[in-house]
Amino acid sequence: MTDRILIIEDDPEIAAAVRAEAEALGCETAWADTLERGVGEATAGDYRVIVLDRMLPDGDGAGAMARIRAGGSRAMILILSALGRASERVEGLEQGADDYLPKPFEPEELRARLRALLRRGTIQVLDNDLMAFGDVEIRLKARTVHVRRRHVPVSPREFELITWFARNAGQVVTRMQLLENVWNLHFDPGTNVVDVHVGRLRRKLEEAGAAVIRTARGEGYIFAPLNADDPAHEG
Amino acid sequence: MRAERPADERPLKARATLRLAALMAVSVALLSLLAMGLQYRLVATRLAEAQRILLESDLRGLGALYEQRRIIALRQAIEDRTAGHSPDEIFLLTDREGGILAGAMAWPEGVEPRGAGFGALPAQEIVRDGTRWLVAARELPGGFGLLAGRSLASADATLAALRRGMLGLLAALMIAGAGVGWLAARQVMGRIGRLNALADRVAAGDLEARLPGPRSPDEFGLLEAHMHQMLDRIGNLNRATHRLSDTIAHEMRTPLNRMMAKLGRIEGQEETTAALRDEMRQAIRVFDALLDISRAEADQGSGGGLVPLDLSDLACGIWELYEPMAEDGGLLPSAGIAPGVMVLGDRTLIAQMLANILDNAIKYCAPGDSLTLSLTPGAKHLLTISDTGPGLPPGMGEEVFERFTRAGRDRARGIKGHGLGLALVRAIALRHGARLSLPSVEKGLAIAIEWPPLPG
Repeated sequence: MTDRILIIEDDPEIAAAVRAEAEALGCETAWADTLERGVGEATAGDYRVIVLDRMLPDGDGAGAMARIRAGGSRAMILILSALGRASERVEGLEQGADDYLPKPFEPEELRARLRALLRRGTIQVLDNDLMAFGDVEIRLKARTVHVRRRHVPVSPREFELITWFARNAGQVVTRMQLLENVWNLHFDPGTNVVDVHVGRLRRKLEEAGAAVIRTARGEGYIFAPLNADDPAHEG
Repeated sequence: MRAERPADERPLKARATLRLAALMAVSVALLSLLAMGLQYRLVATRLAEAQRILLESDLRGLGALYEQRRIIALRQAIEDRTAGHSPDEIFLLTDREGGILAGAMAWPEGVEPRGAGFGALPAQEIVRDGTRWLVAARELPGGFGLLAGRSLASADATLAALRRGMLGLLAALMIAGAGVGWLAARQVMGRIGRLNALADRVAAGDLEARLPGPRSPDEFGLLEAHMHQMLDRIGNLNRATHRLSDTIAHEMRTPLNRMMAKLGRIEGQEETTAALRDEMRQAIRVFDALLDISRAEADQGSGGGLVPLDLSDLACGIWELYEPMAEDGGLLPSAGIAPGVMVLGDRTLIAQMLANILDNAIKYCAPGDSLTLSLTPGAKHLLTISDTGPGLPPGMGEEVFERFTRAGRDRARGIKGHGLGLALVRAIALRHGARLSLPSVEKGLAIAIEWPPLPG
């Protein structure tokens, strides 16, 4: 069954852009241009993800999340709003949104976020201690990383970084996503702080013989791409 | 900077109350004292007048006898009067040599005969055996001395009693005045205190605070109504400002969003589109920084939205985020962060603030410079970030914290920036009631932030 995504957004052009990204991911979409219609549709239909605007003509989408949940919807909610300052993002997440993307958004960023949300909806909580990607093994309880059975020393933050990468293996993850999920920071520092950290982790893994982190040009990074063994893709 | 309020307001209030009470008591007492003084003088004059009239009639009687039989009659009459032993009158008749012809006393010293007739005047006051007397001393033809006097003792006793009564009354009035004054002042102070409490709540960030109950139909009621009107207006303006910033955000970001979507559709000019996206991101950063600054300034001094958080933890996190970047830039970073330092704060704002300062330092420092972050607990927790970079240009001080302040040399050196980073740092410090300063260092720049500790 194809995943369904509901777009609650009053601007038709933006709605169309969101729809294009969702369909590129192979999802079916529905569009509601007011909050009332959107909440009704969210509780009536079975949606995996709801892309929710905040400043709608008939109210603030963030305030309607409780009603959507109360209506029985188990969809992941991504707030997509012009209210994009750090404090507003944190506020939206605290009110129960699963993700918060400020406008204007880059298409790649939206695609990465939708993908992560779709994936989160399916991931089973594994009591499995081990995550393995080719030569790379991540031991969650011991918080250690091994490449070809050899221990690779990583800092606590690097461990969190690689675990988050691993949870989204094979997908593009953006710098903004990393900053939000690994460092729990919701503002744009304007510099390449994240790149420096990813670069260090990447070098450690490469020195141990595992080139599993790739740069996705202009978008972010990919961990353990399907063609990971092909050195020609090294970016 | 936030104005310091007096640490304890009770002595202040008590002083004002006491001043008012004392003023009322003293003014009542002074007025009554004046009234009583006038009355006292009247009574004293009347009593003296009565004694003078008695003396006058005595003299007139003696004068009539003298007209008939001269000294013989006088002597006889004085002997009769003296034998009567009336305690409040004295009579004396002497001969040419001063020998007593009649009377129970010697001629008092220091009293010179004045005049020769039997009129009441001139009279003089003398003190004899501790009491005052009104006496008339005369020299009659032939060198005879005549002295007649009336005691002023009963008048003095009356006046003394009157004085005692007045003093008692005055004390009672002072006490009553002070009591009434204190009650009145306490009532006034109580109502002013209500208004002060309201102002304090508003200053603490509760713009919706209002006084309960109906307004009384007097000046205080009017003052309360005026304060409420002012607060309503501030509240409306505040809401309007928030609405406006939301609207601006919406109206600017929505078209930017469309541009971004269209940029995505352009193919074959990746460099140009990437540069354009970068420009758009920069514009949004400036815009957000301005909104963040004005919001932090608007919320300044209000404790609302701040929660207890571990500043050590947060500082460690941000330090750890920037440390590798500093190392890659050839800097020598070191941190000394005491654990468990708690403050009331907004995590996102403090993170932004520290990130701005560190980012700024890394931007300006050259390889070999050191970058240090330290956090030490104390009466005020002290967080210092210092570097040995180029420091501030000569002549530039606290104004680096003003919006859009950029050193001319930055543009020359091609360092990017919009001059809002440090302005945001200051706004966030003020939002937390923290004091921001630039301690002088030998080389480079140090920024010190003193945080108020958790209350209670």
